[in-house]
Amino acid sequence: MSREPLLPSLALWLALLILPALAPGWLLSQLAQHLCYGLLAMSLAWVWGQGGLLSFCQAVFFGTGAYLFALVAMGRLPGVPDLPLLGLVLAPLAAGLAAFLAGLVLLTVRLPTGAPWAVMTLVLAVIAERLAVTSTWLGGSNGLAGIPPLALPLPGGPLELVDPVPTFLFVLAIAASLHLLLARLIDSPRGALVRAVREDPLRAAHLGIDPLRVRLLVFTGAAALAGLAGALFAAQFGFVAPSLLGLGLSTEALVWVAVGGRGSPLAALSGALLVKTVEELLGAWLGPGWPLALGLLVVAVVLLFPAGVLGGLLERLARPGRGR
Amino acid sequence: MAADPSWPLLLLDAASHVLTLLLVALGLAVTFGLMGVINLAHGGLVVLGAYTVFAVERAGLGFWAGLLAAPLLVGLVGLVLQILIVRRIQHRPLDTLVATWGVGLAIEQTIVLVFGAASHTVAPPFTTTVAIAGSSYPAYRLFVMAVALAATGFTLWLLLRTRLGLMVRGTVADRRLAAATGLPIRRLDAGTFAYGSGLAGLAGAVTAPLMSIDPQMGTGFLLPAFLAVLVAPFAGPLGTVAGAGLVGGTESFVSAVASPVAAQLVVLAGAVVLLRLAAGRRVGRER
Repeated sequence: MSREPLLPSLALWLALLILPALAPGWLLSQLAQHLCYGLLAMSLAWVWGQGGLLSFCQAVFFGTGAYLFALVAMGRLPGVPDLPLLGLVLAPLAAGLAAFLAGLVLLTVRLPTGAPWAVMTLVLAVIAERLAVTSTWLGGSNGLAGIPPLALPLPGGPLELVDPVPTFLFVLAIAASLHLLLARLIDSPRGALVRAVREDPLRAAHLGIDPLRVRLLVFTGAAALAGLAGALFAAQFGFVAPSLLGLGLSTEALVWVAVGGRGSPLAALSGALLVKTVEELLGAWLGPGWPLALGLLVVAVVLLFPAGVLGGLLERLARPGRGR
Repeated sequence: MAADPSWPLLLLDAASHVLTLLLVALGLAVTFGLMGVINLAHGGLVVLGAYTVFAVERAGLGFWAGLLAAPLLVGLVGLVLQILIVRRIQHRPLDTLVATWGVGLAIEQTIVLVFGAASHTVAPPFTTTVAIAGSSYPAYRLFVMAVALAATGFTLWLLLRTRLGLMVRGTVADRRLAAATGLPIRRLDAGTFAYGSGLAGLAGAVTAPLMSIDPQMGTGFLLPAFLAVLVAPFAGPLGTVAGAGLVGGTESFVSAVASPVAAQLVVLAGAVVLLRLAAGRRVGRER
């Protein structure tokens, strides 16, 4: 699917926008965090669904953003003022840079879409987590606690994002605008280039498109998006730990995107919100049965709904009146 | 591991590490190298093999019964897996990756539900030691090495010297031609996958007494084994032997002189370099 469906997108964002009038504060705080996971899912849908690069290391960039935000906000980076807002700006840059360097090494292996690429991203996730666990600067396995919240410089004095309602609205605004941006990018001719490389890199190369360049750009851009999501998450959660950049969260994101649908950022984001909400409702009750259910769910979705549950629905909605 | 500085023992430890890795990688070489199926449940199957031995031993039937039961049971699980899941999505490699990862998670969590998340130990069937280079070395480690070598030899024999192996190789070389000449390719697919899974079960079972087993240990097996298969300098099980030697040897050497994290980094970097060198040759095998 190439075009992001307009009406379902509007419906989701409007429904979320009126939520602060109805829902209790704890639910809003929870949803604001889940929206960060939703952004992570969107970035994975971009890399995997659009770019054809199945990534087992998307959380590495989420975690990079989270840690960088923590380091800046806590004033642990020498020479950088401890402004949380500055951390929010630097986080996507750092995550993008990390992905650019990793992609430069891994993508030039020239077999990027098959098993070697996927296994390399797996290994990268394991190494990143172990590096964070062994680094005392990053707090080791305890992580970093006591991260100050974001403060918005408003005319009437700075507004600290501690209360659920302003925090939720701030995250919602960022998530909705990023979704709009990404959807426009995917619908643009540049987005078509990405799909061309996914479908047939050799033919794309013959048409004058550099597959490596396109893949590197998508990988870097998606990592920056994941990094921003990580920073937003750290700002609300007040705590970062190595599990934020490991294999566990990376594969969890894979489940959200597989269940939602990797073809569209909206489906991926909704998949994350859906799975996380169900996890909050049933997780405590099922205990270790929850990951078991998650594993079986993934198998079932891959077998029965190759485009994802929501992605399949959206495709069906989009089909009449439009070729493809 | 590096507590004893004596070189013969260090070499022996490295050989033990390489051969254990080879045993895990051998099953992957069969499912991935031959059939092109990227089976991320392989780690879970290894864990299942280890827990089979644990359960059989706890039931009072002894270690050897468990060692026999593990490859059979895990091979059966692999057969069911192939027929129910892998066969239907084999033509979509990325989906196969995701689905087999889901299967691996399900196996792992089932083990948590049945045996608990804590680690367990399996007592080795014999605790005799052998005097090597002036120090004593556990004989069971030598037994594990022998099993790894025997399994590799048996697989090679099966593949290269028997009619069944010829049929499997024919299916790998050209599926359509093989089907046209009347080879039962679906049954061969299922059988090959089951055999590779059985090897995973054997690997888990025979190495179980060497360490404490826990449900999460699958990934630790899966990743180096995958790298070993990927960097294999030539196709087929013999290439896997070389790949396991490269990955396992580098890993134990760097672990001994530096740290395990450094070893992982070196192995990853080495794998990237090797894959890059091999890229031109293997381009036909993409996807």
